[in-house]
Amino acid sequence: MPPIRVHLKLLKVLAALLASLAVALASAQDHDPNGSLTFATNADPTLNPWNASAVIESNLINTILFDQLVRYDPTDLHPAPGLAESWETAADGLSWTFHLRPEAKWSDGVPFTADDVVFTFNDAILNKDLGARNASGFAPVDRVVKVDDHTVVFELNRPFSSLPYFLAYYAGIIPAHVLGDAENPLTVASFNKGNPVVTGPYRVGEFVPGAYVKLVPNENYWGPAPKLASITFNIIPDGNAQIAQLLAGGLDMVSITNPALLAGVANNPNLEVIRQSQNIWYFVALNLNDERFQDVRVRQALLSAIDRPAIIDAVLEGYGVVATGPIAPLQQALYDDEVAKWPYDPEKAKELLAEAGWTPGPDGVLQKDGQRFVIDMPTGQYGYLVPSTLLVQQYWQDIGVEAKVETIEWNAFIQKAVVNRDYDAMLAWWSTPPTPDQSSYFASSGAVTGNNIPDYRDPVLDEIWERGRAATSQEEQVAVYREAQERMAEQLPYLFLWYPDMIAVKNTRIGGMHDINSAANFQYSYDWYVTR
Amino acid sequence: MSDAAGSLIQAGKDDARKAQRARFWRRVRRQPVGIVALAVLVLLAAAVWLGPLAYRTAPNRTDARNILKAPTAAHPLGTDELGRDVLARVLAGGRVSLSVGLLAMVVGLAIGTLAGGLAGYFRGRVEVVVMRLVDVFMAIPNFFLILVVVTAFGNHPVTVIVTVGIGFWAQMARVVHAEFVKVRGFEFVEAARALGATHPRTMLRHVMPQVVPQAIVLASLGVGWAILTEAGLSYLGLGIQPPLASWGNMLQNAQSYLWLKPELAIYPGLFIAATVLAFNVLGNALRDVFDPRG
Amino acid sequence: MTAFIVRRVLMGVVVLWLVSVVTFFLIHLAPGGPSAAISFDSTAEQREALLKQFGLYDPPLVRYGKWIVGTVRGDLGVSYNQGLPVGQLLMQRLPNTLTLGLAALVAATLLGLLLGTLAAVYRNGWVDHVVSTISTLGMSIPGFWLGIVAIILFAVQLRWLPASGIVSSSGAGSLVDRLRHLVLPAGVLAFTLMPNVVRVTRSALLEVNRADYVRTAKGKGLAPGTVLFKHAFKNALVPVLAVLGLVTTALFSGSVVIESVFGWPGLGRLAIEAANGRDYPVILGATLLAGLIVVVVNLLVDLLYAAVDPRIRHE
Repeated sequence: MPPIRVHLKLLKVLAALLASLAVALASAQDHDPNGSLTFATNADPTLNPWNASAVIESNLINTILFDQLVRYDPTDLHPAPGLAESWETAADGLSWTFHLRPEAKWSDGVPFTADDVVFTFNDAILNKDLGARNASGFAPVDRVVKVDDHTVVFELNRPFSSLPYFLAYYAGIIPAHVLGDAENPLTVASFNKGNPVVTGPYRVGEFVPGAYVKLVPNENYWGPAPKLASITFNIIPDGNAQIAQLLAGGLDMVSITNPALLAGVANNPNLEVIRQSQNIWYFVALNLNDERFQDVRVRQALLSAIDRPAIIDAVLEGYGVVATGPIAPLQQALYDDEVAKWPYDPEKAKELLAEAGWTPGPDGVLQKDGQRFVIDMPTGQYGYLVPSTLLVQQYWQDIGVEAKVETIEWNAFIQKAVVNRDYDAMLAWWSTPPTPDQSSYFASSGAVTGNNIPDYRDPVLDEIWERGRAATSQEEQVAVYREAQERMAEQLPYLFLWYPDMIAVKNTRIGGMHDINSAANFQYSYDWYVTR
Repeated sequence: MSDAAGSLIQAGKDDARKAQRARFWRRVRRQPVGIVALAVLVLLAAAVWLGPLAYRTAPNRTDARNILKAPTAAHPLGTDELGRDVLARVLAGGRVSLSVGLLAMVVGLAIGTLAGGLAGYFRGRVEVVVMRLVDVFMAIPNFFLILVVVTAFGNHPVTVIVTVGIGFWAQMARVVHAEFVKVRGFEFVEAARALGATHPRTMLRHVMPQVVPQAIVLASLGVGWAILTEAGLSYLGLGIQPPLASWGNMLQNAQSYLWLKPELAIYPGLFIAATVLAFNVLGNALRDVFDPRG
Repeated sequence: MTAFIVRRVLMGVVVLWLVSVVTFFLIHLAPGGPSAAISFDSTAEQREALLKQFGLYDPPLVRYGKWIVGTVRGDLGVSYNQGLPVGQLLMQRLPNTLTLGLAALVAATLLGLLLGTLAAVYRNGWVDHVVSTISTLGMSIPGFWLGIVAIILFAVQLRWLPASGIVSSSGAGSLVDRLRHLVLPAGVLAFTLMPNVVRVTRSALLEVNRADYVRTAKGKGLAPGTVLFKHAFKNALVPVLAVLGLVTTALFSGSVVIESVFGWPGLGRLAIEAANGRDYPVILGATLLAGLIVVVVNLLVDLLYAAVDPRIRHE
């Protein structure tokens, strides 16, 4: 991205900050200086963003605690300055220079410097022996070099125009002066499960395992002073129990993983339902090592057979839209609506299958060369994967394709479907940074061992992704990713299902939140306040 | 043994049996609640196994456009969160839950009776080994054991049945063992042995019948326990898995819809409670019938 | 007596060792692996690095050997997914399970003794029938279902009690706050345990009532209450004591589910989380600890039993 764009962005962020300042001033009278907020998380968090166990239960807490080089602009989710004030890329796209905030400090008072960035990347994320979480997102990065205390250079092995997006995606910087001597900086228990040294607006005040984590203002924070006395995350594994506590006033905000639970909070005047967007796409992966699915007409038919709006209404309570590819509509500038959509059309599905040689057999199930069209479809117990899978099974049965659904426990499912690629079809989702570079889920290099779950191999698409990575201007990007979206919508490496809305319910007494996206919201936690 | 002696013993036994039978039926008549429980269970079994012959709606057929519907003529109990017919699922789930309960009980009873019987009959080294094994199993909290086994072998219905059954074989073995030890000392058993009956014959013909009442009581209570355990496993996501319905997993699914449609949780919950209650009441009644002092 | 104790302790050790062998090899048969490594978005490279860190490329026998040697020395290993020593995790959770378990046990015992005594005194009367109905219900209603209903009723509708957790961050540390959190889970758990105590109490009292000395006491014209408490009750305690051993096992099983319903951070929930996340050292540790408690409780019960009734020792 050219430097000029960054400066434009800076202006925009400044404008946004001024606007929020105005709002803050207006509400200064009713803002309670002793206010505190209580949220829920579903398990004991791991307070190190790169530990392999730090996932959904830890992400948002770590976002408050560990500032990142880059964060999202809370108005449009474009990269905005975080611990890095500005950045620019070399003409060949093979190196990026980041200018760090000189006033930033760790919560123990030690200055934040280039050494911390170098340590976080070279010694933690890029050290392959550690198996750091999300490390594969940084595969194009060779190493990070310190220029001076406040300047670092990311050296790449290939162009990577989406680097700032990845740096804004749960990519907190960890302290070299605390973890530098550890044999494995990702598994220091006193840090991960105790009181980590952080750069964010709040730090850990108290961590009672199994009960709660309480965050208090970080006196050494470089940015605006936090407006809350504390933020507490209660550990509540069950979604129903979270809703019950929200209704009882014990919680101020809950993320809803199962939209069916929303009925419990409907019509409550103290609660407000917010829809957040995120680049998440649900899919059915057809195992492309299976000859039957290598025929594109079969993939198109199996997608046409599914009434996606009906599933969205039934399972997501309407909180979602039909997906056309991996780039979600929240990427307004790049999302392409003019692609093949494969609307629900069982007749067309049957025609496509007939063209591919599949004709009705005596028992109603389609046949080809005496083989019945039977699909093994394992599914894992997680979120609403099982109900969605059961609905897809029915739609396929309606056109004469028999899916044998086997529900297994989540860990065993991952072993079977992801590690062993032992499935014919499976329904799951990808959650990604809001960047058009979705190549890791499609590129031939990610087949078999990586995130290309269906083992899709398409040299044409591979080449388009490469061009996208090297694209520097906005126009160039729009053109390349339009091409990518058209190709994927036609070829269907995955059967794209829907983009779910992320739903949260919050108490109306909370102010200063950025409702566009939860990651962005938590990156600006110093804006939050409670009305009196 | 000589014919005369044999028929004499037989005749004496026959008389005793007749009197015993008469007393037995008198005691049965004093257990009206138990009889009601038995009737409920027979009705339930008939409904879940024979019901589908009359009520042919498919229990697993989803319909995304007709979810959470109120009862209609087509769906007498309405539809669930995936548009499936609730009545058909209650019946199908009952079939699975009752089967799991009964089969698990059979597994537990078979292993327990065999182990406890052998230990109580032969005593000595067999007894020491078997009863220590029983101690081991009694020391592992059942649920931890079941948790580990189901995690290891997956949630196939057979696995669930066997693990739930294994969950209570030890308790069964203990009771059967005690009974065997007691009955073994009875005069007619010793007489039979003295008259040259083989071990298996003595065990089956003379000792077993004395143990049967206790075993029936335990079995009845055991079915209830097994159904509850399967429901608990399903609640934790470790029991019978969809698309197959069981009362336990219906309850688990319904939990997300407590706010929207609490009936979904009420039907399977009621059926579990009613079935287990009936088995427990029956078990208690049987205990009173067989052992009137209790 | 000493020989008896030594024999029982040795047996307990053997039992625990067998438990560890069974659990270890069963859990390693489970498909999948530690969720830290086996996550949906992991690549083969990441999985290999993490499995290597956990030492999971060693053959199972070697791993068991390492584990048992560590365990004998008091080191239960480090949790794969939590990154904390297993001993520390268990000790964080144990007090919670003990609190819940003891509260439920005390409630179940008191309630069970009361109801069982009432049932025995008014044998075959309406009181007996009511008691037997209550205790049969306790045996028949799924504990988790009762828990859900209790949450809806007392936490959501009436708002008398918190829905879940062990302590709220706002009332941290205060005894009242802790007790308020304890009421629902302990109450539900007690309700499911109580029937055992009722049944044993009732039949033990009836048994004792037929005993000669009670008849004599009655014959001497002592008041029924005096007979009950001075003679019958004391002797009936023996079998009640015996059932407590069984109840402890049931308590652990019940608490696994109840802890999940009420978000109670105890051993049961830890075991489930560990099983789902294939956190082998934690599963082993939790099972072993639960086994240890059951063994110890049974031993204590046996000792008390022997102290109350000297005939046991000669068996």
